[in-house]
Amino acid sequence: MAPFLPHLKLHFRLIENINWTIMEITHFPIKERKILNQPAFETATIDQMNIHVLPTDKFKTTTIVVQIEQQLKEETLTLTALLPFILKRGSAKYPTTKELRQYLDSLFGAVFYTDVIKKGEKQIIQLQLEIANEKYLSDTSPLLQKGIEFLGEIMTNPLIQDNGFSKNYVRSEAEVLQNRISSLVDDKIRYANQRVTEEMCKEEPYRLLSYGKAEELSQVDPAQLYTYYQQLLAENPIDIYIVGDVVPDDVKDGIAKHFKVKRNQVQDLPFAPIQKKVVEENLIVEKMKVGQGKLNIGCRTHTTLVDDDYETLLVYNGILGGFPHSKLFVNVREKASLAYYAVSRLESHKGILMMMSGIEIDKFEQAVDIMKKQLQLMKDGTISDQEMAQTKATLVNQLLETKDNARTIIDFSYNSQLSGKKKTVEGMIEKIKSTTIDDVVKIAQKIEVDTIYFLRDEEGN
Amino acid sequence: MEQIRHDQINETIYYEKMENGLDVYVLPKHGFSKSYATFTTKYGSIDNHFQIPGKDPVKVPDGIAHFLEHKMFEQEDGDVFNEFANNGASANAFTSFERTAYLFSSTGHVKENLTILLNFVQDPHFTDENVEKEKGIIGQEIKMYDDNADWRVYFGLIENMYHNHPVKIDIAGTINSISQITKETLYTCYETFYHPSNMLLFVVGAVQPEEIFQLVRENQAQKQYGSQPEIQRYFDKEPIGVATPNSVREMSVAMPKVMFGYKEKKAGLHGKDLLQQELTTQLVLDILLGPSSDIYQKLYEQGLINDTFGTDYSCETQYAFSVIGGDTPNPEELVKQVTEGLEQAKITGISQKDFELSKKKKIGAFLRSLNSIEFIANSFTKYKFNGTDLFQIVPTLENITVEQANQRLKDHFQMEQRSVSMIKPV
Repeated sequence: MAPFLPHLKLHFRLIENINWTIMEITHFPIKERKILNQPAFETATIDQMNIHVLPTDKFKTTTIVVQIEQQLKEETLTLTALLPFILKRGSAKYPTTKELRQYLDSLFGAVFYTDVIKKGEKQIIQLQLEIANEKYLSDTSPLLQKGIEFLGEIMTNPLIQDNGFSKNYVRSEAEVLQNRISSLVDDKIRYANQRVTEEMCKEEPYRLLSYGKAEELSQVDPAQLYTYYQQLLAENPIDIYIVGDVVPDDVKDGIAKHFKVKRNQVQDLPFAPIQKKVVEENLIVEKMKVGQGKLNIGCRTHTTLVDDDYETLLVYNGILGGFPHSKLFVNVREKASLAYYAVSRLESHKGILMMMSGIEIDKFEQAVDIMKKQLQLMKDGTISDQEMAQTKATLVNQLLETKDNARTIIDFSYNSQLSGKKKTVEGMIEKIKSTTIDDVVKIAQKIEVDTIYFLRDEEGN
Repeated sequence: MEQIRHDQINETIYYEKMENGLDVYVLPKHGFSKSYATFTTKYGSIDNHFQIPGKDPVKVPDGIAHFLEHKMFEQEDGDVFNEFANNGASANAFTSFERTAYLFSSTGHVKENLTILLNFVQDPHFTDENVEKEKGIIGQEIKMYDDNADWRVYFGLIENMYHNHPVKIDIAGTINSISQITKETLYTCYETFYHPSNMLLFVVGAVQPEEIFQLVRENQAQKQYGSQPEIQRYFDKEPIGVATPNSVREMSVAMPKVMFGYKEKKAGLHGKDLLQQELTTQLVLDILLGPSSDIYQKLYEQGLINDTFGTDYSCETQYAFSVIGGDTPNPEELVKQVTEGLEQAKITGISQKDFELSKKKKIGAFLRSLNSIEFIANSFTKYKFNGTDLFQIVPTLENITVEQANQRLKDHFQMEQRSVSMIKPV
């Protein structure tokens, strides 16, 4: 259920909420939530699976996330997409969803959900469990091992019929996923983001939705899917993260015991997103029954999180459109009164910067002009010392804030794992602090407008 | 400074009332890098008809509380966001039906940021020019919500349920209603509702309570506030039944959306009774329609619901209603089956086993939510304004009985109190 959202001064919270839900806009999170390395993670390898444990008494629950990595590609897209949703329906031990859900309820309402997301040109299956720490309960039966056992059961012991997944679950989840794909249009902000991405990346895997292709979903065969799953478990990188008030050895013992999978030679999936040089700026106008126009300007940054100038890109984006002191907010919203939100977001696994705003339909040209002008000002180095100082201070603050949420801690660490570039929070802060206006101007020279997309009403031209 | 200890969950909260009437709460959070503060007035979109003590009653344009919230950020020497940004803090604000909150989060300079927060909220600067300029911005905010089908289906339901109560008015107002807002009406609202005795400050995170109280005491002592008599708020009499049993709106969506719910016949609860009713109803909704329930599983199997389906219960002194729904290929069939399921449950009743399971789940959910300092600050304030306490949730839950749940089930789900709001594809 969409929870009640009070009206906010800034649109930021709304986008942040989207970030935690399901659609592809997770790749334009409000904060670059990929900022922090936790030196306190203890890492071990069990059966070629990477186990990362962070003991902390900061949280009253324990968060466990299993991530299974796959290349984003047409051949396996839809099969990979369907898997997490079938797994969440039941297992050999909990064959019906009701039994499974009731077991979770009995663990003080452990929150269990599965998803499939896209990070750059990777497709990632996530199995997540958040379970109370019995220290804070009047009933003190230990919950951690039960949580590990449960996730292990879900991943390694699915419900099998006729050498395949449950036909019923495959059919029903394929339908749910088809609906989810088609209802992307219900949220115009997300829809505009996906459409501009498709237009920008026509020839690149990044155009694909992590939820697969609607037309392929109904064709999936339960036996073929199960064979694929076994192959995925045998050959693909698996990372398991645990954050909470736990003893690392207990966690590792639990995982060794409950995550029994047949592993072959595990593939190394390279971090190599396709970088395309813009030949010609693209303009796409799409009509629909809407009242407000949604303007997206998609840019290529030619910079990803493995590059040395990644932190400079964060500063660039912060000055341009990351915050309420940024150029887009000040000029599109505060000075011209054109919009309620006017922001820029990065997808740094791929190398895309997206400017977004919701505007009056007849203000399209004016808004594009103002937004492009801000890009030009960045190139010219028309950046004040105050803009630099505020952006650096706010970025540093956001970096530190990610430490207070188990999910952002895990997400950051996993970004390092995926890209192969280890970063430390202190290192990043240092780099941000030492960034100069000249550095930002250098980044600005690399930024190219690729596609301007406008979703508008059905009247006029 | 008063100290309130909650042993089971290992939290201690500190409280002091300032001389001018401002309630201040501080919750130090062990191990957190971040601090978060909310400065909230008990004034929301429903407070559109009131009396400034000693003057005539006034009625103000729809959306003014939210408009005021936007305009508070403007200071004589510029935008207050700049001051927060200098300290690396993120600031924001929100307006709901009954509250307006101003907030920041930061990992450093907490005292400086807190001073900025207190000072900007206590120093309005409205001009004809800056009020006009905001109309374009809020106009686009309104239009964004107009195109948002989830918001429209939800608000459609509230509009259906209520005849007169201002909860049916969209928080941001309309383009037309905000066009009537002037700096004078803004000052009238400000002077009525932003007196410290109508406000609550909550600070949580990496903080030392004594330092915070010291700062707030000194800050407040510098400002002149006369004593304020109680604010009179007027609400037209609301009939018991719903205004409209159903509504359908067309929008450009892929699949229909439906939300339906039951309007409480009686409002006016406060304090312990309100919390008890809220929690009991939430338990009932979870037991009957949560993901572990038979009804949920049956609907899911038929493809009538997906994971957008959920339930909610809003319980305030002024009004209370439940909300059930989500995306569905067949809204009529979904409403029919859920209603039948609820009627059946009224006959068979809730079992002790399901009841205990749901309680456990809710206690777990409460613990989980305490990981979020934003949740703690916002919910604590909401409950205080309703005369109760966030940390009474677990003790209250533990005392609810299955008999009370079964009684609630019968009292709440009454056919004549039901309304349905649908969005269908164009």
